[in-house]
Amino acid sequence: MLIDNPLNSELAFPIIECFHIVGFAVAIGSIALVDLRLLGVGLRRQSAADLIRDTGLWVVVSLAISVFAGLLLYSTDPDKYYLNTPFVVKMICLVLAIVFNYTIHRKVIGAGISSGLGKLVACLSLALWASVICGGMLVSFTAV
Amino acid sequence: MLLSLAIWFQNTALCALVRDWPLAYPIILTLHLIFISLFATTILATDLRLLGWGLRKYSISDIVDQLRVPKRIGFVLVVTCGLLTLGSKAEEYYYNPYLRVKFLLLALVGVHALVFRGSVYNKAAELDVLAEPPLRAKLAAGLSLLLWLGIAIMGRSAGYVYPPAGTHHFATLFDSAFMPSLFL
Repeated sequence: MLIDNPLNSELAFPIIECFHIVGFAVAIGSIALVDLRLLGVGLRRQSAADLIRDTGLWVVVSLAISVFAGLLLYSTDPDKYYLNTPFVVKMICLVLAIVFNYTIHRKVIGAGISSGLGKLVACLSLALWASVICGGMLVSFTAV
Repeated sequence: MLLSLAIWFQNTALCALVRDWPLAYPIILTLHLIFISLFATTILATDLRLLGWGLRKYSISDIVDQLRVPKRIGFVLVVTCGLLTLGSKAEEYYYNPYLRVKFLLLALVGVHALVFRGSVYNKAAELDVLAEPPLRAKLAAGLSLLLWLGIAIMGRSAGYVYPPAGTHHFATLFDSAFMPSLFL
């Protein structure tokens, strides 16, 4: 698969990376919109339950684009990324973040929650997604 | 002249600190990215609502007015981190063509604010009564999204360029691991 891989063309990687970055910016941004509301920042006149329902489609689509682009980027040099510690941490946090987002996060918000629990859930969600971003950033900074 | 300004900036105490402390550069760059995500949220929500593409259940004034302060705070945070990372290697970044385009686009964002802030972003209540956002609002929102998208892409592309030989190249702890230059 690595032989004659069109993804090794010089411009392909940056272009796909742009889709990856825009994808996760929209996805994490939409999730952050809900989390910031739980923390009392931003769209305070709307309830978190409303916001999560209205941003749901944006999150799914942009996350799908970002993950797909990420898979393409990964395929250009699987060994390098597999052996890269920040990348592994990023993947673990990504799985945790996605699972958390669609289980506890959604359930807690849909059910109507006390503000203390809401803040905890929001902080956890933001921390997980921030770790994904950090991991991604550090990947390019570490050789292996 | 700009070059000497860059050299002066990178030699200030704060930027020298970012350069000398090994973990500073990656940490601040990561913060830059995290703040970008939060800032992008506010820009995205505002502009998508003005285009009529998202969050249609809420009135325009709801979204635009509530996100105004978070937008400004986010902008300040992003720019602070950006200036610190820029200052750590300002002379090297002076030669980076993608950063030049990025700052040109940032200047255009300023122009965009001058042109559209008074007529669109500050007049959200007036836009509420209309069935569809007017052309001017859609134009403002569309241009804003394109400009910020361009800024983000230019910012990422800037990381792909190695400095030309003969210029000061400050090797931070992680520099040697950067991806090889694709565009020199």
